[in-house]
Amino acid sequence: MTGVAEAVRAYLPGLALLAGGAVAATLVADAVPGLQPLVVAVGIGVGLGNTVGIPEIAEPGVSADKLFLETGIVLLGAAVAVEEFLAAGPTVLGLVVAVVAGGLLFAEVVARGLFRIGSPTSSLLAAGASICGVSAVVAIGRVLDARGTAITFAAATILLFDAATLVAFPLAGEWLGLTGRQFGVWAGVSMFSTGPVAAAGFAYSPEAGQWATVTKLARNSLLGGVAVAYSLAYAARSAADPGVRRLWAEFPKFLLGFLAVAAVANSGLLSPAALASIGRVSDALFALAFVGLGLSIRVDDMRAVGAAPVGAVLVHLLAVSAVALAAVRWLL
Amino acid sequence: MVSDAADGTDARPDTTDGTDARPDASDAAGSSLVDRWTALDRGWQALALGLGIVAAHLVGQAL
Repeated sequence: MTGVAEAVRAYLPGLALLAGGAVAATLVADAVPGLQPLVVAVGIGVGLGNTVGIPEIAEPGVSADKLFLETGIVLLGAAVAVEEFLAAGPTVLGLVVAVVAGGLLFAEVVARGLFRIGSPTSSLLAAGASICGVSAVVAIGRVLDARGTAITFAAATILLFDAATLVAFPLAGEWLGLTGRQFGVWAGVSMFSTGPVAAAGFAYSPEAGQWATVTKLARNSLLGGVAVAYSLAYAARSAADPGVRRLWAEFPKFLLGFLAVAAVANSGLLSPAALASIGRVSDALFALAFVGLGLSIRVDDMRAVGAAPVGAVLVHLLAVSAVALAAVRWLL
Repeated sequence: MVSDAADGTDARPDTTDGTDARPDASDAAGSSLVDRWTALDRGWQALALGLGIVAAHLVGQAL
């Protein structure tokens, strides 16, 4: 099995870097009361990425951070109390659909009408801000055959807001006195990329982290539908790329794993010790993923983002998060 | 979701074309496994890893 050994060897330096950052984050958080290890993990990643950078040899391993995040989310299924989520499910789902649909239209109007940003950049920004951040920018960019520069430009704008909201949302939640559930749902419908949403949620409280992740997963699952809608609106693709296939192609498959693990955990098949152990594995994967998330945040890249897209996304974020805040306070 | 599998970060020799290098059977099986894994969408990889970890816990508590 030298093929497997060779493949794994290429990933080892990057995995060691992520693991080192995760261990350091845990030690720092243990030493300083009130610090959340996952937030420290992001901070260490940002610090390393913007000073020393990522050594070339470590890049393959570091690029596995999103796999760790998604696997951590699958395992998070073991920690959710299904009855509680089913009880709030229709309300949260209704809120997610309303915020995504309204947010997309609002972002398009603001970007095109107020900031004179042409298509498809306006649509890339709208998708990134309304659904699931950079993944949505890339997916919708593919559907619309957008140029690489437009995708890079929109992705950099979204990343700028990912970094800012990761810090701002937990502070705002504390200031507003939101419960864990209210904060989680608020962050889950308002913030952009999945990693920062989960990080902000867990920075607030474990309960907020679960609600933020579940709410964000519901939002991510709408990506396929939005991709089909954009495809039809722009008529960018022929009938050879049917809607159902597109829906399935963009559907986040790890969501099925999350649901399967939640079903197994809530069926009573797993002992309390096994559930606790799965929770520790999930926490460890999140720590690795959040060091990687920090490493991907580059201050220099964000300086290159123009004023118009920042203005458009800022107006969208302020409006959507204000509406979502009012909704979660009223409904939850 | 976007898969990282197609970004070419881990270029390895393709052993699926039946070349005459005649690697031993376990090497060929290993390469085939790696190729199949890297060709998977990242969402499927996460699903497989997550379910594998839960399955290991189920087996562990049954022993």
